[in-house]
Amino acid sequence: MLRFVVRRLLLLAPIVLGLSILVFLWIRALPGGPAEALLGERATQARIADVRHRYGLDKPLPVQYWAYLRTTLSGDLGQSIASRRSVTSEIAQRFPATIELALAAMIFAIGIGLPLGFLAAKWYGSWFDHLSLVGSLLGISIPIFFLAVILKYVFSVKLGLLPSIGQISVLIDLKHPTNFYLLDAVIEWDWSAFWDVLKHLILPAIALGSIPLAIVMRITRAAVLDVQNEDYVRTARAKGLSPLVVDSRHVLRNAMLPISTIIGLQTGLLLSGAVLTETVFQYPGIGSWITNAIFNRDYPVIQGGILFLAVVFVLVNLLVDISYAILNPRIRYGR
Amino acid sequence: MSIAEIESAELALESSTGGLWREAWFRLRRNPGAIVGAFFVLTFVVIAAFAPLIAPYDPTIVPTVLPETCCPGPSSAHWFGVNVIGQDTFSRVIYGARLSLVVGIVSVAVGLSVGMFLGAIAGYIGGFVDSVIMRCMDVLLAIPGLLLAIGIVALDLPFDRLYQLMIAIGVTNIPIFARLLRGSILAQRENDFVLAARSVGVKRPTILFSHILPNAMSPMIVQGTLALATAIIDVAALGFLGLGPQDPSTPEWGNMLADAQDYLSSQPLLAVFPGIAIVISVLGFNLIGDGMREALDPKLRGRA
Repeated sequence: MLRFVVRRLLLLAPIVLGLSILVFLWIRALPGGPAEALLGERATQARIADVRHRYGLDKPLPVQYWAYLRTTLSGDLGQSIASRRSVTSEIAQRFPATIELALAAMIFAIGIGLPLGFLAAKWYGSWFDHLSLVGSLLGISIPIFFLAVILKYVFSVKLGLLPSIGQISVLIDLKHPTNFYLLDAVIEWDWSAFWDVLKHLILPAIALGSIPLAIVMRITRAAVLDVQNEDYVRTARAKGLSPLVVDSRHVLRNAMLPISTIIGLQTGLLLSGAVLTETVFQYPGIGSWITNAIFNRDYPVIQGGILFLAVVFVLVNLLVDISYAILNPRIRYGR
Repeated sequence: MSIAEIESAELALESSTGGLWREAWFRLRRNPGAIVGAFFVLTFVVIAAFAPLIAPYDPTIVPTVLPETCCPGPSSAHWFGVNVIGQDTFSRVIYGARLSLVVGIVSVAVGLSVGMFLGAIAGYIGGFVDSVIMRCMDVLLAIPGLLLAIGIVALDLPFDRLYQLMIAIGVTNIPIFARLLRGSILAQRENDFVLAARSVGVKRPTILFSHILPNAMSPMIVQGTLALATAIIDVAALGFLGLGPQDPSTPEWGNMLADAQDYLSSQPLLAVFPGIAIVISVLGFNLIGDGMREALDPKLRGRA
C-alpha cells in the first residue's frame, strides 16, 4: 500500500513541474507584460525598464524560470497587484469558502442523487426509472449559469426567501478563526450568523450541485443494476434475508465502489471548477478570484492561483485512487 | 416457393447482422431518446443554417426609438419581446444558434483531430514518446477546463476572438480525445487480428490505419457527440463571462443571458429564451451521444 502511494506521489512531480512551466510561459505570453501591469497604463518606458530590471524580467527565460521555481518551492507565491496582499494569505482566506461551497454542493448532490438512483434501479423500467433518466440528462444539459440565474430570480427576486449574492450579510460581524464561515459561526456560538451563512450557501450549492447530482444518480442506478443480478445477492435473498438487509449490506455496499469514485472525482472538479457559480453569486471563493485576476491582469494571482488549483485537483484525484485501492483490494495486486 | 428459395431466405435471415455500424444504426433508430435528440439537433442546425430567412429582424441593428420601459414582453411583432436597447430577442436567439453551432463544431474538430493525432502516436509508438505526450495531456487535464479556456482567450492572439474561442475550447478537448484513442489503441494492439496482420508482414502504418483505427472509432464518435454538447455550454459560459465575440452586438446566447441578469426583476423572459435555446441544443447532442453509446456498446449487441 505504501509503495503504491509513494509511486503515485512520484508520478505527480512531472505533472506539477509541467504545470509550473506552462503557467510561467503563459504569463509571459499575455499582452502587456507584468511590469506594465504593475505600473499601470501611464508608466514611462524608463520606469518599465527599471521595474523589469528590478524583478529580473530582462534576464533570459530559463534564468527567470529557475528564480520563479525557487521562490515558489519555498512557499512564496508573490503579492497580488490589486490587493497588495500575499497570494498565499488570499488563498488561505478564499479556499475555505470554495471548500465549503463544494462540500455543500456535494451533500446536496449525494443526498438526492443516491436515493433517486437507487430507487430508479429498484424500479427498473418503470415510469420513475424513465423519469430519472430524463431528469439526469436534463441535469447535465442545463448550464450552471442559466440554472443559477433562474434560482436567483425565483428564490431571491420573486419570493425573497434567500439572498442572491455574497457569503454573509454585511451587517453581521463574525470573527474568522478558521475562515470556514459555518465552522466559525459554530465556534463563536453565533447562531444568527450560522443561519445567515447557511442561507447564502443554499442557492450556489444547488446550482453547483446540479451536474454532480445527475452524475451520481446515473452511476448509482447503473451500479445497483449491475450488482443486483450478482449471484451473491441471489443467494442472500434465497437464504431469506429481509430485503432491507440485502439492499443495504449486499447491494449498496458493493455498488458503493464506483459511486464513491465518482463522488471523489466530482468533488475534485467542484473544488477547482466553481468559477461560474462563484461569479453569478459573487461568492468570494477561489474560482471567481482567479477569473477576476485574469480580467485585471493580476499576474501573481493568476500564476499562484492556477498552480494551486491544479495541484489541489491532482491531489484529490490521487486521494480518490488511494481510497479506491483501500476499498477494493483487488486493484492493489496489479500495481 | 421452392425449397431452394426457402433455404436462401433462411440464409439471408441468418446473415442479416450486417456489421457493427448497420446494427448500431438499427438500434439507434429504435431508441426514442436518440430520436428526440436528433429532432432537437436537426432543428438547431436548420435554424442556424437558415437564420437570415427565419429571423424577422436584423439582430445587430439598434432601433432609433428605444422602448419606453424595460422591456416589452412577447407580442405579435416581437415573439420573444425585445431587450433593453430594443433589439428583437427572437432574431437574436435565432442568430445565436449560428455562432454556437459553428464554434462548437470547429472546436470539437480541432480537439478531435489534434487529440487523435497525439493519441495515435502515443498509443502506437509507445515508450518514451508515449510518456512525454501523456504527461503533457495530464498537465492540460489538471487545469480546470473553463480556466484553461479563459486563459487562452485572454492571450489576445493576433486574430479574431471567434477563432480564439474555437482554439480555446478545442484545446480543452485535446487531452480527452488523446487519452481515449490511446486507451483503445492499447486495447486493440493485443488483439489476434493485429497479431495476424503483423505476422503476415503488413506494414505498421497499414496496421494502424486499416486494422486498429477503424476498431477504435466508436468511442471517439460517442465522445465527439458528447463533446459538442459541452462545447456549446463552454461557448455560452465564456460569453456569459464577457469573453464572447469581440463585437458586443453579435448575438450570442451566453452574452444575452449575462445582459438579461441586470433586468431580471422587470423582464425575466430575456434570460429564459436564450437559456432554453442552450438547454435544447445541448440536450439534443447529449441524447444522441447517449443513444450512440448504447447502440455501439458491444455488450448490448444483439439484444435490440
